[in-house]
Amino acid sequence: MKAGANLYVGGGIILLIFLLAVFAPLIAPYDPVTSANLMYAEEPPGAQFWLGTDEQGRDIFSRIAYGARISLFIGLAVQVMNTAIGVSLGLSAGYIGGWWDEIVQGLTNLMLSIPTIVFALALMAILGPGLPSLLIALGMTDWAYSCRISRAQVLTQKSLNYVQSARTMGFGPLHVMFRELLPNISGPLIVVATMGVGSAIMAEASLSFLGLGVVPPNPSWGGMLSSAREQLMVAPWVAVFPGLALFAAVLGFNLLGDGLRDLLDPHGKGRK
Amino acid sequence: MTHSPASLVLSRRRMLAAMLASTAAAAVGAIPFAARAQEAGTPRPGGTLQMVAPFGSALQSLDPHATYESQDMAVSKAFHRSLYNWDSATNSVVLELASEVKVSDDGKTFTYKLLDNIYFHNGRQLVADDVIWSYSRILAPGSSLSAISNLQNIKGAQDYLDGKADTVTGLAKIDDLTFSITFDSFADPGFLLFEAVTAILPREAVESGTFLSNPVGCGPFTFVEHIEGSRISGKKFDKYFKAGKPYADAIEFTITDDYSALDVAFRAGEIDATVLSENGYVLYAQDPELSKGLIEIAEMFTRHMGMNLDMKPFDDVRVRQAINYAVDRDIIIEKLLKNKAFKAVGWLPTPSSGFDPDRKPYAFDPEKAKALLAEAGLTDGVSFEAWVTDATSSLGVLQAMTPFLAAVGITVTPKVVEAGVLVEAINKGEAPAWFRSNGTGPDPISALRSFDSRRPRSTNRAGFKDTAFDAILDEAMATLDPAKRVELVRKADAYIFDQAPVWFHNYNKAVLATQPWVHGVDANVTEAAIIEVDQVWLDENAPSR
Amino acid sequence: MLNVLLRRLFQAALTVLVVVTLVFVLFSVIPGTYASSLQADKRDVSAEVLERIEAELGLNDPLPQRFGRYMAGLAQGDLGVSYATKRPVADMLSGRVWASFRLACAAILFAVCIGLPLGFFAAMRRGSWLDTATMTLAVSGLSIPAFWAGLVLMYVFSLKLHWLPTFGYGSGGLKHLILPAITLGIAPMALLARTTRAAVLETLNSDFIRTARSKGMSERRLVLRHLARNAFVLVLTTIGLQFGSMLGGSVVIEKLFAWPGVGSLLIDSVGLRDIPAVQGAILVIVLFFLLINTLVDLAYLVVDPRIRYR
Repeated sequence: MKAGANLYVGGGIILLIFLLAVFAPLIAPYDPVTSANLMYAEEPPGAQFWLGTDEQGRDIFSRIAYGARISLFIGLAVQVMNTAIGVSLGLSAGYIGGWWDEIVQGLTNLMLSIPTIVFALALMAILGPGLPSLLIALGMTDWAYSCRISRAQVLTQKSLNYVQSARTMGFGPLHVMFRELLPNISGPLIVVATMGVGSAIMAEASLSFLGLGVVPPNPSWGGMLSSAREQLMVAPWVAVFPGLALFAAVLGFNLLGDGLRDLLDPHGKGRK
Repeated sequence: MTHSPASLVLSRRRMLAAMLASTAAAAVGAIPFAARAQEAGTPRPGGTLQMVAPFGSALQSLDPHATYESQDMAVSKAFHRSLYNWDSATNSVVLELASEVKVSDDGKTFTYKLLDNIYFHNGRQLVADDVIWSYSRILAPGSSLSAISNLQNIKGAQDYLDGKADTVTGLAKIDDLTFSITFDSFADPGFLLFEAVTAILPREAVESGTFLSNPVGCGPFTFVEHIEGSRISGKKFDKYFKAGKPYADAIEFTITDDYSALDVAFRAGEIDATVLSENGYVLYAQDPELSKGLIEIAEMFTRHMGMNLDMKPFDDVRVRQAINYAVDRDIIIEKLLKNKAFKAVGWLPTPSSGFDPDRKPYAFDPEKAKALLAEAGLTDGVSFEAWVTDATSSLGVLQAMTPFLAAVGITVTPKVVEAGVLVEAINKGEAPAWFRSNGTGPDPISALRSFDSRRPRSTNRAGFKDTAFDAILDEAMATLDPAKRVELVRKADAYIFDQAPVWFHNYNKAVLATQPWVHGVDANVTEAAIIEVDQVWLDENAPSR
Repeated sequence: MLNVLLRRLFQAALTVLVVVTLVFVLFSVIPGTYASSLQADKRDVSAEVLERIEAELGLNDPLPQRFGRYMAGLAQGDLGVSYATKRPVADMLSGRVWASFRLACAAILFAVCIGLPLGFFAAMRRGSWLDTATMTLAVSGLSIPAFWAGLVLMYVFSLKLHWLPTFGYGSGGLKHLILPAITLGIAPMALLARTTRAAVLETLNSDFIRTARSKGMSERRLVLRHLARNAFVLVLTTIGLQFGSMLGGSVVIEKLFAWPGVGSLLIDSVGLRDIPAVQGAILVIVLFFLLINTLVDLAYLVVDPRIRYR
């Protein structure tokens, strides 16, 4: 594998999905929701419906195109929230230490120890199922991972020369944390964050399995896949195509993460 | 397959219960049975039955009095018995633990003679005291057991419940094997006393403190093990009162509601019989081998969209009728439900004694719907919110309805909630419209009480208020002549059909899949998953042999 | 070390207190009650019975009073009685905790045995076909939702090959454990492979390795020697997090495989608003997590003394 291949393949897949999402109204031949017509329920793929139709007679290709918007949005929004929260907390906890570290650690443990599903269930009951509950449930709770990774990294790097020298040069804690430490620990964080986009998309699929995902009839890939699991033998296309889309998206984000890692790794160039 | 040694004995006197039961049986010619389910053959003893409790991933309670969940009742079939039983062969309630019952002339006092060979799993014989104790337990002061409402009509029940009396005066022991039940007003005890919620339990076991984890009853199997959230098992009870039964040596129920996994397990031969989902039905019906083991059952459940009559626009009967005309039920049933349903032509389902085979369903007539809406002054369209759960029969049906409603100018938005939240919202009168399946049998009168204006919202969910309707019901209740009674019940059902407090959708068609080596599985119209396990037997091809 | 333990204990107690309070209040105020959940089935339980149930369980008392009652019991180690089963929550949990624990251990064992070597060798052969194949496998593992992976395994190993039972708990043997454990282990395995690879690469690029390499030492031995000190922190964190959250994170798999775990008890109890059971399940999940977490932290100390706990 050539260096950078990951970046291009992953980036390419993600770009395609982005384009699909952005231009969904132009690409999709049908409306993803209102085109429901039982006359065309579970039509196999063909000229009229490229990827077939689901049990309500909706065009699966159109739903996948529009579903790209929802699934991408979930993945990115959730991961942006998580990373922002997690990295700020983890960095500062590791660097500042003391009581702040205690609080952050306690908070992290709290969030980690309570399964996301508990928050999801509670939020669904209060706000009702749907995108807001889902974003809060996933975006406010899954930051613990990046927090702990960044904290652990800071702890190993804190005593290293470059941090010490930055300190003796008189830089403030914010500078040291975000300008010195962050670039040096970003490798694993980028891996975690990009994979996180994929896993957020995946988490939505799992929550859909429990009836807690994006509310139908709005299409999300995870929701489409989950609700189609009983149709696997009757109308396999209803499950297979959203599954492939989901697979491609997660694959893309992971490859992209890997590629970015190679690109951003401050020491990576010395390896050749 | 007539199996019960306790089949109904017609005594010299006029037998109300029997008459009612026979009218119920007469109305069910429409139920399709699979050929093999009826197939004769000599039952073979032995083997382990692999059954399913198919509606949730855990049982609610092992105390049969404490749970009204279908899957708990399916499991109770193995361990417990009640005074009456549902007989799927005749589609009627029959005596189970007693050899005969005599009815007083006023139709209020029933005297039972218990069979003399019934034993509990702890070896003790079941006697009249056990029946009286079991019913008294349900009615004890402070009790919160589900069957209170079944027994409340017994004379003195309310006083006992309220702590004003030491005993239930309507329950009387005559001798060790004879007792009588006296009701306040006429009632058919069969409908009230056939489910596991009124099972006869041995007092010493219930009070031992281990009953909830080690149930004891007089059913065909004795309890062996319960792995909460996965499985419950039992082994053959040698002193079971039905000679030669149960046929199987042991029984296991897998507790799960994941139908994709159940499908794999059934095909892999790990499960002997299971209920199917819509997709499973399509698939198994197409398969030359699997289709032979299908049993189709017209269940006594009515699926509908309920409407809150206290809210606009549902306070106007024309709007409710318009909704009934606007939607093409046939295509929803055919395409979305894969024909695993029968179109509803009223509140009472096909196997009910009150079912009227001559009634015509609401036609699919959008023009008529528009005209009705216009008549109601709603020419600019109308919109409402429907509360649903995330299930095919709920949200799925609503989605399929949406285009039809839109075509006549009705906009409907779904609000997806948990099942418990949905019921709470309905009972509080907060939900404008909702999707639900109601048990509508076997007693047609109590099914129609869902629209009795004197009932609380948790029963009369639509908030239907019509004294004329209440009067028909009361008249039916007080009528002893079966034919006249059925006529009144049908009249009441027709009244509801015309007033349309709900969108009548369908009666569930339950489908059981059975393995080629499984025999004697009955088609229970009260709930297909509740299988009479004492008569199920496995032939020599069963993998569990 | 003792100091760390005491500190952890204090933290744990605090966390438990916060969780218990949070959960109790949360699930008491959200819509739906235990009584309303009883009507969710098609059969109607009468309004009078529901009122009696609420009175019996004290559900009509004000929230602070109910909470106080629960906490008083908890302080004495009493987890209360489930609304639904009427059994002590502790009894209900005992069997399920063991089932969940077995499943989690088997899954993490699978993840470590496969993921760790995969990641290590992929890093050592960075850019080779092995690297590509391993990482593709890892990514695929992360790209299939658990319920699909589980279904596929079921189709292959029970329906087609008849090697293993489709679902259920069996009599507690290994046979029934394998499929759910693999399903549950796929994602941590993939994650572990990737984290290990990244960590090993990080180690390879660190200053002291480069120094050592310039002195002509063999790379593999170097990595092996230093892996414990550096990459292990990362890998350990991953394992700890994955393992610790498995008790609560395996719901989907428990449901699919009819596995009698704590997670499905939690979900079912939430549906029923059976608050004592919800509390009990969450408590177990949280305690398990804290325990694993503490063990991981102690392992840090052993592996990498540079991490100092005050």
